[in-house]
Amino acid sequence: MRAMFLALAVLAAAALAALSHGDLRLPLGAVVRAVVGVPDTPPHVLAIVWSVRMPRVLTAVVVGMGLSVAGAIAQAILRNPLADPGIIGINSGAAVAAMVVIVGFGAFSPGLLSLAGFLGASLMAAAVMALAWRDGTSSIRIILVGIGLGAAAGGVTTFLAALGDIGDVQRAMVWMAGSLYESNWTRLAALAAWTVPALLAAWLSAHHLDVALLGETVSRGLGQRVNLARILLLACCTLLSGAAVAAAGLVAFVGLVAPHLARHLVGPRHRVLLPVTALCGAALVVLADLAGRTVIAPAQLPVGLTIAMLGAPFFAFLMWERRNG
Amino acid sequence: MADLPPAPTLRARDVAVSYGHSPVIGGADLTVRDKAFTALLGPNGSGKSTLLRAFAGMQRLAGGSIELDGRPIARRPVRDVARRIAVLPQGPSTPEGLTVRGLVEQGRYPHRSLFGRWGEDDGRAVTRALDLTGLNDHAERPLETLSGGQRQRAWIAMTLAQDSEILLLDEPTTFLDLAHQIELLDLVVALVRERGKTVVAVLHDLNQAARYADWIVLLKDGRIIAEGVPAEVLTQETILQVFDVPCRIVPDPVSNTPLCIPLTRAERG
Amino acid sequence: MNRAPGRTGLRGGAPSTHALLAAALVGACLASLAIGTTTIPLPVILDALLAPDGSREHVVVVSQRLPRMLIGCAVGASLACAGAIMQAVTNNPLASPGLLGVNAGAAFAVVMAIVTLGAQPDSVLVWYAFGGAAASAAIVYGLGSAGRAGATPLRLALAGAIVTSFLGSITAAVLVFDQSTLDNVRLWTAGTLSGRSLRTFLTVGPYVAFGLVATLAVGRQITTLGLGAEIARSVGQNQAQWRAVAALLVVLLAGSAVALAGPVGFVGLVVPHVARMIVGTDYRDILPFCMLGGATLVVAADASVRLAMPEQDLPVGVTMALIGAPFFVYLARSRIGAVR
Repeated sequence: MRAMFLALAVLAAAALAALSHGDLRLPLGAVVRAVVGVPDTPPHVLAIVWSVRMPRVLTAVVVGMGLSVAGAIAQAILRNPLADPGIIGINSGAAVAAMVVIVGFGAFSPGLLSLAGFLGASLMAAAVMALAWRDGTSSIRIILVGIGLGAAAGGVTTFLAALGDIGDVQRAMVWMAGSLYESNWTRLAALAAWTVPALLAAWLSAHHLDVALLGETVSRGLGQRVNLARILLLACCTLLSGAAVAAAGLVAFVGLVAPHLARHLVGPRHRVLLPVTALCGAALVVLADLAGRTVIAPAQLPVGLTIAMLGAPFFAFLMWERRNG
Repeated sequence: MADLPPAPTLRARDVAVSYGHSPVIGGADLTVRDKAFTALLGPNGSGKSTLLRAFAGMQRLAGGSIELDGRPIARRPVRDVARRIAVLPQGPSTPEGLTVRGLVEQGRYPHRSLFGRWGEDDGRAVTRALDLTGLNDHAERPLETLSGGQRQRAWIAMTLAQDSEILLLDEPTTFLDLAHQIELLDLVVALVRERGKTVVAVLHDLNQAARYADWIVLLKDGRIIAEGVPAEVLTQETILQVFDVPCRIVPDPVSNTPLCIPLTRAERG
Repeated sequence: MNRAPGRTGLRGGAPSTHALLAAALVGACLASLAIGTTTIPLPVILDALLAPDGSREHVVVVSQRLPRMLIGCAVGASLACAGAIMQAVTNNPLASPGLLGVNAGAAFAVVMAIVTLGAQPDSVLVWYAFGGAAASAAIVYGLGSAGRAGATPLRLALAGAIVTSFLGSITAAVLVFDQSTLDNVRLWTAGTLSGRSLRTFLTVGPYVAFGLVATLAVGRQITTLGLGAEIARSVGQNQAQWRAVAALLVVLLAGSAVALAGPVGFVGLVVPHVARMIVGTDYRDILPFCMLGGATLVVAADASVRLAMPEQDLPVGVTMALIGAPFFVYLARSRIGAVR
């Protein structure tokens, strides 16, 4: 419980910071008043907070929640602490689709890209599950097939990058690096429409995830229909990841790091782990986006890159800390 | 040994299992004695773990069927089977940070609804399981801080929380030191005598099996060579046939069950 | 035939397998020299190699196709051997040189060099790539082997993922903002055999040669390492020392390969598996197989692509991914199922 409040507090602080920083620095008090809706807030403050920054911050929150919970699901189902939605090829599928759209058709409408990313992610996840199916599934096979197909998709992406028009390729790379630049209320609504029900479904399935962690034999002994559970939960994971990719491009690492952080705080039971993971993931993405916006202002670092740059050393530190553990 | 109740609940009918084209079990017919402790014994590769898995409904059969109360297990929903049969595999893996209570609560899975509502029955079952295994004082400790014996007891507690009448244990004592082995076997016998559970366990130690089990099944090369009460099954001839080891059988001075003393090369004469 | 334990293989033993492979390699090399936008007949090729007379065809052979073929051989042999060593040392059939971060390190160094110093000739970039690969591998190995447990497969993979991700993000950040560097570098990042000069090959070649010879020499030690920590210790092998030697060899070989041709995946992963299936588990047989097989694979794949699509220059990294991935998936389906 304490951990949940801590995470919530961190997230709230991060969000407020993100709302106050930008081209025009707004004092914290003004931001709070604008959020709460105090009557005599100056209109320009209201406009900046509500039309410009709020959608971006909220998108960051939802993307962070979706990716981190997707990671937690993947880690439970695949029983592998290294698992991440990227492992089952979702990211590489989305990347190929986006590359094809940008380089192949020269199109760059955000809506089309989002759709392509989502479709690519889903098709890839389906292909991985289908190829990994041999008389049932096995977590190792899923991981291996995911790596194989992911690498093939990566090859195609690199190929397209090597041959396409340089301007297109650069735009594609920005998209693939993960960016919240195009956030607006409409896209946020679409994102939330997919993500929120999936998050709820994941939380309601907490005990299924707990049992999955105990291994296939024990799970079956306890009466879980293992293959069905795997497929449904991985579908939920794909939905969450795909929606996040559609909204913000490829943001890696959140799905890997946030669940680990949360587990340190509250242990492995998913009923508590999932909400805390979601809060950690949201805070991570909000902070990373804030850093990306302010550190080299006025240029903006795509949030996926910032997360990797911040997350990797942090994770290395964690590894170093626990080296004798 | 008292006369065992005659009503069988779990039965293997002409069961055959193969991995690919190599047969692992051929035509095994075994009726599990109700409310008794059955030990499956045999050399490595004899198929004992495979047979146990088959009883649990986790093994694809090349022939025959496993029946529970006269109906094949394969056709029953997994959840229903789990309410009647609990399984403990060898060396189960524990997620880091999981407490004893956390593990035992997992045992309620087959009784919970799709969205996992936790009811009074569930809480009572967990408390009962912790009591039976003497783990109440350790309930909030993470599993990795327990000794091997305590951890194994925690897993047994999980299967007890499942409230199933049949327990299938795959080599439950293999990685434990002697004191914990005895502790575990004492617990199993208490569960059978006082709680009316039916237990089938794969064991490695012949003499322990002789002391604790009500019924012994000897397997070799995928076939059941002999089954019966320890005194009848564990003879020089059967042990030589199944394990390829000449031995002398004497009555155990403490429990009067057969004590198998393998002969060394010098002693075989 | 004198067969040491563990040496299986085709009838006649490993030597005849190697001979077969060597023949295949020679064939692939000749094909590679012959194929291209214009097919050059064999006698002309031989003339070009032995007595070049400055004619157009001879120039094409010597200055374009020869380096391509030689680099293909070097890259294939190095990566396959590096992969085999990695799989033995980490006891992990999934290990590949990329796991140690060599690719990410090389890319990072190359991009940073171009950004800070402007466009550089290949022969200079090669050194940056090498240095970056080595430094990155050192960090990964250091992080992964810290602590009591040492370099377990999981820790190494985790360390590799962290370093790759970190360096990759910085590299990507730079490329996102600097279009000209991106233009310079994007072909290289796909892994390519084209546009390389003979001089580049001769610069890096000696390191490859040294690495390959050293690899063959330590075959027996690698086999012992591959048996796992306890067995290796009980037969008296000084593990820390030989692990370090193995790591150095991997860096040398994989670093050279990535310096020559950029990141080429799958060779280091797939060829050792095939080797194990055909010649057994003794690394004294596996390593030569990897050398010959890896070289043949890369050269033949490249030649086939040029035969099929003479105008399009498909980077070899992409070809390897397209060949390697289905094979990998096949491996995953056939090998892993049995475990359950």
